[in-house]
Amino acid sequence: MAEPKTKYDRQIRIWGEQGQTALEKASICLLNCGPTGSEALKNLVLGGVGSITIIDGSKVEEGDLGNNFMVDESSIGESKAKCVCAFLQELNDAVKAKFVEESPESLIEMNPSFFSQFTLVIATQLKEPSMLKLDKICRQADVMLVVARSYGLTGLVRISLKEHTVIESKPDHFLDDLRLNNPWPELKRFAETIDLSTADPVVHKHIPYVIILVKLAEEWANAHNGSLPSTREEKREFKDLLKSKKIALDEDNFKEAIDASFKISASRGISSNLRKIVDDSSAEVDSTSSDFWVMVAALKEFISNEGDGEAPLEGAIPDMTSSTEFYVNLQKIYQAKAEEDFLAVEKRVIDILKRIGRDPASISKGNIKSFCRNARKLMVCRYRPIEDEFNSPTLSELQKYLTDEDYSIAVGFYILLRAVDRFATNYNRFPGLFDGAVDEDISRLKTIAVGILSDLGCNGSTLTDDLINEMHRFGGAELHTVAAVVGGIASQEVIKLITKQFIPMSGTYIFNAIDHKSQLLGL
Amino acid sequence: MASEQQLPSIKSSKVLMVGAGGIGCELLKTLALSGFQDIHIIDMDTIEVSNLNRQFLFRKSHVGQSKAKVARDAVLRFRPQINITPYHANVKDPDFDVDFFKQFNVVLNGLDNLDARRHVNRLCLAADVPLVESGTTGFLGQVTVHIKGKTECYECQPKPTPKSYPVCTITSTPSKFVHCIVWAKELLFAKLFGDKNQDNDLNVRSNDAASSSENAEDVFEQREGEDPEQYGRRIYDHVFGYNIEVALSNEETWKNRNRPRPIYSKDVFPNGLVQSNGNADKVTVTEDPSSVSAMTSLGLKNPQDIWSLSENSKILLEALKLFLGKREKDIGNLIFDKDDQLAVEFVTAAANIRASSFGIPLHSLFEAKGIAGNIVHAVATTNAIIAGLIVIEAIKVLQSNLNNCRMTYCLEHPSRKMLLMPVEPFEPNKSCYVCSETPLSLEVNTNSSKLRDFVEKIVKSKLGMCLPLIMHGSALLYEVGDDLDKAMVANYTANLDKVLAELPSPVTSGTVLTVEDLQQEFTCSINIKHRDEFDDEKEPDGMVLSGWTQAPSKEKDDNVAVSNGVSTSSASQSTAVEAEDDDDIEIIPTGVAFVSAGAKRKLSEICNSNSHSSVGEGYCGEKNTAVMDEEDVVVMLTESNSDVSKKKRLQ
Repeated sequence: MAEPKTKYDRQIRIWGEQGQTALEKASICLLNCGPTGSEALKNLVLGGVGSITIIDGSKVEEGDLGNNFMVDESSIGESKAKCVCAFLQELNDAVKAKFVEESPESLIEMNPSFFSQFTLVIATQLKEPSMLKLDKICRQADVMLVVARSYGLTGLVRISLKEHTVIESKPDHFLDDLRLNNPWPELKRFAETIDLSTADPVVHKHIPYVIILVKLAEEWANAHNGSLPSTREEKREFKDLLKSKKIALDEDNFKEAIDASFKISASRGISSNLRKIVDDSSAEVDSTSSDFWVMVAALKEFISNEGDGEAPLEGAIPDMTSSTEFYVNLQKIYQAKAEEDFLAVEKRVIDILKRIGRDPASISKGNIKSFCRNARKLMVCRYRPIEDEFNSPTLSELQKYLTDEDYSIAVGFYILLRAVDRFATNYNRFPGLFDGAVDEDISRLKTIAVGILSDLGCNGSTLTDDLINEMHRFGGAELHTVAAVVGGIASQEVIKLITKQFIPMSGTYIFNAIDHKSQLLGL
Repeated sequence: MASEQQLPSIKSSKVLMVGAGGIGCELLKTLALSGFQDIHIIDMDTIEVSNLNRQFLFRKSHVGQSKAKVARDAVLRFRPQINITPYHANVKDPDFDVDFFKQFNVVLNGLDNLDARRHVNRLCLAADVPLVESGTTGFLGQVTVHIKGKTECYECQPKPTPKSYPVCTITSTPSKFVHCIVWAKELLFAKLFGDKNQDNDLNVRSNDAASSSENAEDVFEQREGEDPEQYGRRIYDHVFGYNIEVALSNEETWKNRNRPRPIYSKDVFPNGLVQSNGNADKVTVTEDPSSVSAMTSLGLKNPQDIWSLSENSKILLEALKLFLGKREKDIGNLIFDKDDQLAVEFVTAAANIRASSFGIPLHSLFEAKGIAGNIVHAVATTNAIIAGLIVIEAIKVLQSNLNNCRMTYCLEHPSRKMLLMPVEPFEPNKSCYVCSETPLSLEVNTNSSKLRDFVEKIVKSKLGMCLPLIMHGSALLYEVGDDLDKAMVANYTANLDKVLAELPSPVTSGTVLTVEDLQQEFTCSINIKHRDEFDDEKEPDGMVLSGWTQAPSKEKDDNVAVSNGVSTSSASQSTAVEAEDDDDIEIIPTGVAFVSAGAKRKLSEICNSNSHSSVGEGYCGEKNTAVMDEEDVVVMLTESNSDVSKKKRLQ
């Protein structure tokens, strides 16, 4: 094959060369290499992350063979971290794989600075006290944290970091940026050079729909005191106007214009989401601000000056029925406007960098360009510290989840996952591990769960006995099927975080393998 | 899942996995760790380099070997006590008949094409074995459960089929890059390197006059004593120059279109020879023939660059030369393969030259490869999630825990706070021609269509049959099989070339044909209705099958087709009706095939209009997203409103 990257061809089609490069630069630390952690890491090793470091202090036991594919009979008695590391290394020799045979709990306790060398830490099967400490350490060191856990037929994934900013959010649906609701002078001028009443049928059926809409929107506005169609009735009339300009039945460009006619009535200016971002206090930048926020600050200035209320134009136009000449000219007009907007933003970025005492060339042209192209789709994700969430969850949400049939199981498992950790702290084992103590364990678990609920301010709330029995029945088992799913979801989120593409999940994701009704809880 | 009470049903079960690719590798591992002891795997593919980013049982050293066998060995290395039986074979082979399927407790699909999925669906129905079906593309995926008589079968809902284009768009009036790709791949590539006996429309429109058709046949053959360079330039001038001139001479075609520009090699290379041969020969002399590359010999490195017309022309001529020089033995039986570097180079270059001619924007090799190979994004994470879900469902099926079975959709962006979207399985579609034996109807010109057209375009292509048998009452019109005597074969072959109305037992309006597939043990009846005229553009087959659930296939823009999902099939079959209250919106079937109360379903179970940021006017079709599965097939994904998903229980 001509390219060494052939191996990654199918995924580069998802996240591009840039995303792949980001992965190849990332260094990932895994805490505990049971099935959940091993599976999560396996997916990342296959995708080609730069390096992995596995932390696990345990030895391979007979029981591990039943749920972890990366150890076999010959590894019994050996370091689990070492065996899993060797297996993963074999999957992809481009990945630097290391292991540390030490328990994650003691590492968190004794050597917190160890974690600052990583891009991201995946903490699996970690109990509450260690998880809370680790969260603090990672936030301090600006290392991303993804927590994953499988417990019987349930599991959890939670991202924790101060702030994650996304330029390429790649939303599923997004209106193209044709600016038909607010055409700029050059576009209008170009439209004026084209005659809709041309007698030449070939020319007429090859006028791009963008031009048709710009011209007829203007015609409409002139006849309606400058306003565009807004009511249902007016929109219908506008479509009739479009139809009346057809000179033959099979004019695809007019069909496209009619289908897209709603675009001229779209509200002008920026979305509420973008408004929130430019109004964020982080957009008041100083020398410590990230590149993202410096660019947001420039964007904010642009919107209220050159942009005249709008974000920079994307500059791309979709395929449409058109003659090559019209299409190419139209493309040039859009590209020129996008370039002009980009230059204005770039100038503002440079001015801001000077103002805050940074090297004016420290943000590359390419980054500013990509930022401008995606300006309408910027995303900022922030995550509460896990400890804050545990001590004072958003009470209204919690109460809503507890009473909502859809969420009650998910929130029940959420509480019970904390309850089993307290149980383990008190009794040194998970509930349900001994057949002899069934009733006792269940009632203890219930007491703890009710206690957690009342600590959180949900006095009198309780969980169903069925759910508590189910949790007890799990006995702390880490099942391979559940681990494969939970590990898969965790690794998927890791990819979103590292590539800085797509929007990572917010809140705590609870997986429910009984009926797959699995929710994100925003607490 | 694997708690003690469940183990016996797992341990004693015998499962069949079809497909050992992205999902298959994960699936085999998860089955092995969930206590399954007797696993059979069928896969006809061998391992490719581009599999290694997700098919974790395979290593570089395995490239070229059987996926089924290597997957088995890899798992046995870690779990030697399990029985795994690999078959390096096509699941459509006659060996895998209904009796073969009957030995299994459940069948798990990790397939990459619609054809095989339909075939397995029918065998599972015939053998009465539950099927767990799956697919992924990029971050999207789904798992569905199909149990005969209790849930929908795989074919109860329409499946978008690969887009087909009217022949004349491809041969004479391309307007999009994909048309040029289809032309380069299906016509030019097939003509030069494929089976010489295959029909090929390459010259259909450019040689309108029948007189020159005999000469045209020879144009594509290398002449005695003609060196590859001359041959290449002659082909080049013929297809990009002469054929365009011929097409231009038909003024009628261009009245309403932009006229293409003929391109001759002398215009692109005014200074004679393209480049010296020596270079290419040296570079590739010791290489394995399967890895020769025109890009390498011309020193072009980045597959994401868009080449100029002259670069494309060089690549085309170089690729042709390399085919003749290094891969001569392949010529005559090549089929385009997205993993064949040289083939991809040839097709990219040819499509780009044609695009230049028609004023269509050019594309990079990377993009062209994606379009030509129907390449679907694939990543390890999604396959891992989906494989885990398949096993969870399989265990429920084995325990007859049908109430908890779910069809699960894996989403890219959480919707309504859900990343996995569970939907309760639907009842069988009472008008499904596969599992409910509902007759189909076919409009066809019985005085001009031949039996061969019916066999190829309907029975094989639309109905997905392998070994068809066609009967009119008790008269056999056509049959395929190894055990037929010579006289029968001759008789059937003669029938193929007869028009329907002139068959020994004439097929005319009102005739009911019975079509049966012996391997799939699947029978359906087709009511024939005569019609004189068909629209070339809209009905390129010259016949229209209805009652057959095909979704409208939209063109793929970025490889993920957004088209109507489970709820809105093609407009003729069901229509979304707007109502005031979201929960009461129903998809009301309007087509004949769908008019039955059982087929009605709550729109709210399928799509949810509250949380969606769809762009246009809010109609349901936009909210359903069809998902391309692992390599090239389309499956359905819908948004579901969880709070009502219980309303329709499995009976």
